[in-house]
Amino acid sequence: MKLELHPHARQTLADGLFAAGVEFPCGGESACGGCKVRVLDGEVPVTLAMRDALSEEEIRDGWRLACCALAEGRVVVEVEQWSLRVLTDEARVPIEPRAGRGAVIDLGTTTLVVQVVDLTNGEVLRVETALNPQARYGADVMSRLQYDLRQPGELGRVIRQALGRMLGSESLREVLVVGNTAMHHLFGGLNVEPLTHAPFVSPTLGGFRFAEEELAWPGPAEFLPCLGGFVGSDLLSGIVATRLDQQTRPHALFDIGTNGEVVVGSGQGIVCASTAAGPAFEGGRIGAGMRAGTGAIDNVHVRDGGLDCHVIGGGAARGVCGSGLVDAAACGIDLGLIRANGRLTNADKRLPLADGVALAQSDIRELQLAKGAMAAGLRMLTGEGVEKLYLAGAFGNYIRQASARAIGLLPEDLAVEPVGNSALRGARMLLLTPSTRKARLRKIVALSRHVELAADPDFQYLYAEMMALSRYRLSG
Amino acid sequence: MPDLDKLHQAVIEGDWKAAAAATQAAIAAGVAPLTIVTGCLVPAMDEVGRLFECEEYFVPEMLLSARAMKASMAIVRPLLAAAGTEPVGRVVIGTVKGDLHDIGKNLVASMLEGGGFEVIDLGADVAPERFIEAATTRNANLVALSALLTVTMPSMKTTVDAFQSAGLREKVKIMVGGAPVTQQYADAIGADGYSESAGGAVALARRLAVV
Repeated sequence: MKLELHPHARQTLADGLFAAGVEFPCGGESACGGCKVRVLDGEVPVTLAMRDALSEEEIRDGWRLACCALAEGRVVVEVEQWSLRVLTDEARVPIEPRAGRGAVIDLGTTTLVVQVVDLTNGEVLRVETALNPQARYGADVMSRLQYDLRQPGELGRVIRQALGRMLGSESLREVLVVGNTAMHHLFGGLNVEPLTHAPFVSPTLGGFRFAEEELAWPGPAEFLPCLGGFVGSDLLSGIVATRLDQQTRPHALFDIGTNGEVVVGSGQGIVCASTAAGPAFEGGRIGAGMRAGTGAIDNVHVRDGGLDCHVIGGGAARGVCGSGLVDAAACGIDLGLIRANGRLTNADKRLPLADGVALAQSDIRELQLAKGAMAAGLRMLTGEGVEKLYLAGAFGNYIRQASARAIGLLPEDLAVEPVGNSALRGARMLLLTPSTRKARLRKIVALSRHVELAADPDFQYLYAEMMALSRYRLSG
Repeated sequence: MPDLDKLHQAVIEGDWKAAAAATQAAIAAGVAPLTIVTGCLVPAMDEVGRLFECEEYFVPEMLLSARAMKASMAIVRPLLAAAGTEPVGRVVIGTVKGDLHDIGKNLVASMLEGGGFEVIDLGADVAPERFIEAATTRNANLVALSALLTVTMPSMKTTVDAFQSAGLREKVKIMVGGAPVTQQYADAIGADGYSESAGGAVALARRLAVV
C-alpha cells in the first residue's frame, strides 16, 4: 500500500504516518532503525542519524527513518510493512447472567482490542481493534517507559482517551482491562522508574479501579493485577482462560512475541517469566520483514526440492512475516541450505524465497536470537511432566507447529494447543463470573511466583545454546 | 611449531579440551608463555572476530571460542605472572548499573583477554563506585562499559561523570559499547571510544592503551 502525505513544516513523517493509522516502532531515539520507511516519491533529506542507522545502499533505495524525517511538500511512502491483523476471541464461556452491558480490553503493547459484552447472555456485541497510540512514542515497552520518565503521565492520558473512544457512549456496568506490567503502570499513572532497571521489581503491581467520572468512560474500570516483573494481567487472564490454576498436572502457557512470556504450573503452584525475544517474529529487524498483510509470504513449503511460497492476497511477494520466516528457515534446514548453527550454505549467503524476496544471513541471526530467547525461557521453567503447552497470541495462532519444532522454537516432546487471544478470553470469563472473580484472582496471584531469567547466570549460556536451529526435547 | 597450530585450531573451533591439551603440550615443548599469547591466542581470537564480522560465526561459536581461549589462558596466566610479564594494558569491564545483560560484555572481555590485555570483569549491574574502586586498586588504564537497554544507557554517563568527579578521568580511558550505543552517544557523554563489535573493541583498546 502506498500512502501519500503532505507533511506540515516541523512535522516528521512519523507524525504524518501515525495520523494515517500507521504504527511507529521507534521512540524518536533515532538509533534503532526500526521505523524504516521507503520513500517512493518526494524529497526527504538524509540526516546524520539516518546515516548512522542505515546503509549507503538503503539510503540510495529511498529508505529513511520516519522518526527524524522532515519533509516539505508531497511525499509518497510504502507502508504495507506496518499493516497488521489483530486477533480477537469469541469462544463461549461460562456465565452468571446479570443485567446490562460490560466490556473487556486487551491493552497490548502493539494492538488494542475492546469487546462490549451483553451481561445477560455473554454474547459479544461489538469488537473494536486499533493500534496502541503509544506506539508512536516507541515500539517496545522500554522506549515507552523511558518516554514516561521524561514526560510523566502523557502516555497514560493518550491510552485512556483512545480506549474511552473505542468503548463508545453507551453505559457499561464495568470494564475489565488486562495488559503487561508496563501497560498497567502507564495506564494507571504509576511510577515506572522501578521497571527501567534491574532487578525490575515494582512495588505497585496490584490491580486498581477508576470510577467512570475519573476516566470519562461510560463505566467504571478495573485494571487487573500483575504477576511480577513484566508479566502482567494479560498472562493472568491467560491462566484463567486455560484454567492453569485448576489443573492437577502442570501445563505451560507460552506467549511468543516481542516480549515473550512463559507460564508453567498447576493448582499446586505457578512460575512465570518474561523473555525479550525482539521483534523478529513480527517481521521487525528482518531485511525483507513485514507484518502479516497483503504481499507477505506467510507460508513456505518444500516442493520438488525447492521452496514454494504462499503470499497473502495472492499477488507478488513483497516481504516475509513471522510465520513465513519460521517456515522458510525450517525448509532451508530441510534442504540443507541452512546449517544448524544458522549459516547459509550457498556462496552469496542468501536464501531466495520468491519474487526477489530473500533472507540474508543477518535475518537468520535475528531469528536465532528471537527463538533462542523464547526456547531458553521455556526450558528454564519447564521440566519433565508438563502435560501440554498452550500457545497464546496471534503468532502462536498462525505459526506452523512442524516448522516451529524443526527450528527448535517449540520442543519435540510436548503436545501443543494454540489458544488464540487467551488474554481477552480470560478477561471476558472474569467479567461474566463476578461472584467468584475476586477469590480466583487472589488465588492465582498467591500461587504465582515470578522468576527473573536474566539474573540466573546459566540463562545466558542456555540462551546461546538454544540459538541453534535444531530440534530439542525438554526431557532426557 | 605444530603445537601452536593445534592450539590455534582448537580456539577457532571452540574446543576447550583440545585448547588446554595443546597449551600444556606447547609449554612442555618449551614454548615461552608470552609466545603462546602473542603468537597464537591473539591471532586466533582476531580470526574469530573476523569470522564473526563476516557472519560466518555467531554468538554461540564466539562463546565456545572464548571458552577455549580461556582454558588456555588459565594455564598460561600464572606462568606470565611468575615471569613478571606486563600485559598490553589493564581493562576493568562491566555492564552498567541497572542492566543484567552479560553475553555481549563477556564476549568483549574474552576478545580483550585473547588480545593480550589483563581483564578485570566486574560482571553485570555494576555501580559507578565499583568501577572506580576496581580501576584504582588494580591500576587499570582502561574502563569498558556495556549497556544493552536504552533505559540503562544513562548509567554510562553517570559512570563517566563519577570518574570525572573522583578526579580520575585523566588516568583512565573509557570505552563504551552495546546494541543501543552509538558513536554519537559515546561522544555526547564524553567517552574516549566506541566500538560496534567485539573484534573492533580490541583494536580500539589497543589504540587507547597506546596513547
